[in-house]
Amino acid sequence: MAATIALRPCGDFKTSYASDQTVFPTKLSLAFCVAGVALLCLAPLFLGKYGLSLLVQIGYLGIAALGLNILVGFTGQISIGHAVFFGFGAFASAFISNKLGVPVFFAVPLAGVATTAVGLLFGVPAARLKGLYLAIATLAAQFILQDFFARAGWFTGGVAGTPAKSFSVFGHELAGDHQYFYVVLAYVVLMYLAAANLMRTRDGRALVAIRDHYLSAEMMGINLTKYRTLSFGFAAFYAGTGGALYAHYLGFVSVEGFDILFSIQFLAMVIIGGLGSIMGTLMGTAFMVMLPEVMGGLAKMLSGSAIDRLLSLNEGIVFLREMTIGAVIVLFLIFEPDGLAHRWRQIRAYWKLYPFSH
Amino acid sequence: MQLTRPLAGALLSGVLASMTPLTAAAQGIPIGHLTDFSGPTADVGGPYGQGVADTIAYINRQGGIAGRKLDHETVDYSYQVPRAISAYKNWSGRVVAIQGWGTADTEALVGFITKDKIPYYSASYAATLTDPVGGSKADKATPYNFFYGPSYSDAARGMVQWAADDWKKRGGQGKPRYVHMGANHPYPNSPKAAAEEYARQLGFEVLPPIQFALTPGDYTAQCLTLRQSGANYAYLGNTAGSNISVLKSCQTVGVQVQFLGNVWGMDENAMKAAGSAANNVVYPVRTSAIWTGNAPGLAMVKEISRISDPSGNAYRASHYLAAVCSTLYMKEAMEWAAANGGITGENIRRGMYARTNWVPKGTEGVCKPSTWTATDHRSLLQLDLYRAEVKDAGEGSIAALIAKGAIQMKPIATIDLPRRKEWLGW
Amino acid sequence: MTMDGTLLVQLLLSGLIVGALYGVVAMCFVLIYKASQVVNFAQGEFMLIGAWACWWLLVKFQLPFFAGFLITLAFMMAFGLILQIVVLKPLIGEPIISVIMVTIGLSIFFQALMKWLFGVSAQPFPPVFATSDVNLLGLQVRTVYVMSTLISIGIMAAFAWFFKYSRMGLAMRATAFNQQVAQSLGISVRQVFALAWGISAMVSALAGVVVGVVNGVSPALSFFGIKVFPAVILGGLDSIVGAVVGGLVIGVLENLAHYVDSQFLRWGNLYEIAPFYVLILILMVRPYGLFGTKDIERV
Repeated sequence: MAATIALRPCGDFKTSYASDQTVFPTKLSLAFCVAGVALLCLAPLFLGKYGLSLLVQIGYLGIAALGLNILVGFTGQISIGHAVFFGFGAFASAFISNKLGVPVFFAVPLAGVATTAVGLLFGVPAARLKGLYLAIATLAAQFILQDFFARAGWFTGGVAGTPAKSFSVFGHELAGDHQYFYVVLAYVVLMYLAAANLMRTRDGRALVAIRDHYLSAEMMGINLTKYRTLSFGFAAFYAGTGGALYAHYLGFVSVEGFDILFSIQFLAMVIIGGLGSIMGTLMGTAFMVMLPEVMGGLAKMLSGSAIDRLLSLNEGIVFLREMTIGAVIVLFLIFEPDGLAHRWRQIRAYWKLYPFSH
Repeated sequence: MQLTRPLAGALLSGVLASMTPLTAAAQGIPIGHLTDFSGPTADVGGPYGQGVADTIAYINRQGGIAGRKLDHETVDYSYQVPRAISAYKNWSGRVVAIQGWGTADTEALVGFITKDKIPYYSASYAATLTDPVGGSKADKATPYNFFYGPSYSDAARGMVQWAADDWKKRGGQGKPRYVHMGANHPYPNSPKAAAEEYARQLGFEVLPPIQFALTPGDYTAQCLTLRQSGANYAYLGNTAGSNISVLKSCQTVGVQVQFLGNVWGMDENAMKAAGSAANNVVYPVRTSAIWTGNAPGLAMVKEISRISDPSGNAYRASHYLAAVCSTLYMKEAMEWAAANGGITGENIRRGMYARTNWVPKGTEGVCKPSTWTATDHRSLLQLDLYRAEVKDAGEGSIAALIAKGAIQMKPIATIDLPRRKEWLGW
Repeated sequence: MTMDGTLLVQLLLSGLIVGALYGVVAMCFVLIYKASQVVNFAQGEFMLIGAWACWWLLVKFQLPFFAGFLITLAFMMAFGLILQIVVLKPLIGEPIISVIMVTIGLSIFFQALMKWLFGVSAQPFPPVFATSDVNLLGLQVRTVYVMSTLISIGIMAAFAWFFKYSRMGLAMRATAFNQQVAQSLGISVRQVFALAWGISAMVSALAGVVVGVVNGVSPALSFFGIKVFPAVILGGLDSIVGAVVGGLVIGVLENLAHYVDSQFLRWGNLYEIAPFYVLILILMVRPYGLFGTKDIERV
């Protein structure tokens, strides 16, 4: 895993498989990553509850979005039912820690495993379906599981929802934004490293091969059914873990909120972040979480100001805010259809050759 | 890059603005206000949110509370839970109370506000929020959740009680049949078990519930089933949009059944949109008077209404009046707190328990006498039932239609429910 | 049992009528997909815009229904054309999933715009027909549904003729099959795309107006667009006939499921969920839908 070179060379000069398979391409990028995590560790000292809660949201949503990116970006499938896997993880974790008495520390990964089982189940149709037909199978999963949540009172608490205990390590409770932040940070680092690692192993390469040209992949001996289903399993595991973290953050899980609009938001995070890019997922999640906040802030600034009076917007401002969110998504994709990761690479390339970039 | 600079500037200022703390005026009382003006529940969230905002402005105009003005920040969270969470986190540590909105935000924030001890006045009347100590069927303790009005379950029980009396008055033969109609979703499901159980107790034959989605559509199938089942009383549990569709489909199919509405699912706007299909629907009202009624308290409500409508011509839906009451209860609890240790969340909560059969000053005949206690947050067990009498009159504002007589709301009964301990929490 | 038999027949009839409406919207969806390979998540919003536009013309200008309706259709045609030219043309050639996301962004934009322009409450449609319902086989059916069924059949016939015999229709099919070959034959792909979106918007508006007349116009009308997905997939994404059949099947299936549920099973939610279960089953047997063309893969 250790990078062997400091700067990115202008060519491929690697001489061993080990150096080709590093998770971080250069020592510098590893250093930046470590520095970034260290900086985030210091964040609770500077940010208030609001900023920390945004980071926590980016954290657990980012984990779930990474799962979707493995499915959509790396394997070339599509899923419009991701929200219910997220929800299933949330309910599972609450159920496991409440009814089965397992400490929350273990309940979170167990919830991920439980969600994987469900994900594998819905991945079975993936074997035969391609493209948008698969999308509909996942849409069916969305509605079927949503109905199940509303119905299964023993699991989800039905109408009343279910409370979730707060996170604790060896009896020491980690509640409140300042402490829970570290839990989420640890999970994000772990899951993202795991995904990056997955992509450099044999299975990860198989997934990418399926995305790029599945006929050739099949001819080379990659079992399409197995890997497609496995991909759903991974996506579900990540979604379930993200959901479990969500449950223990809020302290309460309700059936409402895991609807198709939420699934579409996950899709937006992945697409805007950049398909097939791990760092891009985090950027896309941050974008989708911050967008309504920024728009809300702008709307707040705008209301009561001169422009408001001039155009007599009044209540129209809230609608303008929603319209701007939609317009930003559209415009962003018109100008950068490959996502934030691609834009980031372009920026980096520009500065690398500065002042001779073209 | 030229264009992106001003754009980046705007974005940056937006980020900073979103993180701006509540500008606390000298000694202002910070409160939070969550509304839905632009999301899926905006049709009822609009009037309710307007009511809260107007009442707060009115309170400030009258001098505030103990000399301090209410410093409120309204966040339209469009019924999206993550936005409600961020808004709360922005407020937490500063606000002393929150006027909330629907099930989504109330349930998402219930853990946080209980831990942070901030009273939350919701417009979600779920019975699971009425148990402050825990141990009932609600399965959770919500000591800081308050709402003005009968819970959904109690409102449904009240209508079932009326239905039982109505059956006897009509001279109905045999067992009356009751059916619950709604989507398989927490909002319509909230009172289902309670209403069906009470209906059985009162001698109804409870038919299997009929499902219909929360979105408008064609519900001929459900209406045909309803007709065939021979139901006498059907409870419509969904929100207005789909209830309208069901009423229209059933009118076309020709179903003879007494429809019972719910608080958010049948109001003046729904009557206008459904037209004659809404004729004869019986629905609950949380206040003792509606806008066109007659009560001493309405004078104050009309004054409050003039804050956002100086002409005084706007028609205010029943939700507006309920919002006014909810905010005034908060205000009087704060006044109590100011006199008993300072305005903090905990003291406001104790202030809510300070009075019994409480009617905020100036709202006599509008807000019903409510009582909150430390073991029971079911403040109101009385509801007024109205019957909608609607003729198709097409276009026009609601005020005009009411003046024309095309929409009439006739009070038909006031139901008093017994305060049964075993009914707490569900 | 005869009582149940009549109920069944009435449910089937109702299912066919509503299914025809689903079929119409599904056709628009498939039209866009066939021509430009885009999955249009904003189909529901097209319906909504059409419904509001017609309502506005009828209420504000007191126009008679058919005048308002025709103006709405013309407006929606122009709207679809402009939308394609402004927003979707720059995305030709980009990964399909980005284009799908753009349609999602458009749906958010238009939803908010409609709420701003027309408010958030449901509005009733002014009365359109002298008699509001008609008796068919013992079932009272709203006249507007009869109108919509007749128009749907007309549209299906028109589409069939269009794609088989007219130059533009053939050009569209050629473009859907292989854009580059079509271009090399002199077909203006840009025109084809624009026309596809225009027609789709126009026909969606019809469906929107019908739903609006029946239920009143409200922001939630756009959820119809999601109902259409199972119909489209069932019939096959690139088959117009399949879209129609899929719509009818889903309409009938919903009602049948409700019947079975209310008479025998008493589970409660079969009405909404059954189409999805059936869909998955059919997709296991026929992965391209009932009429979709199988992707013949050559190495």
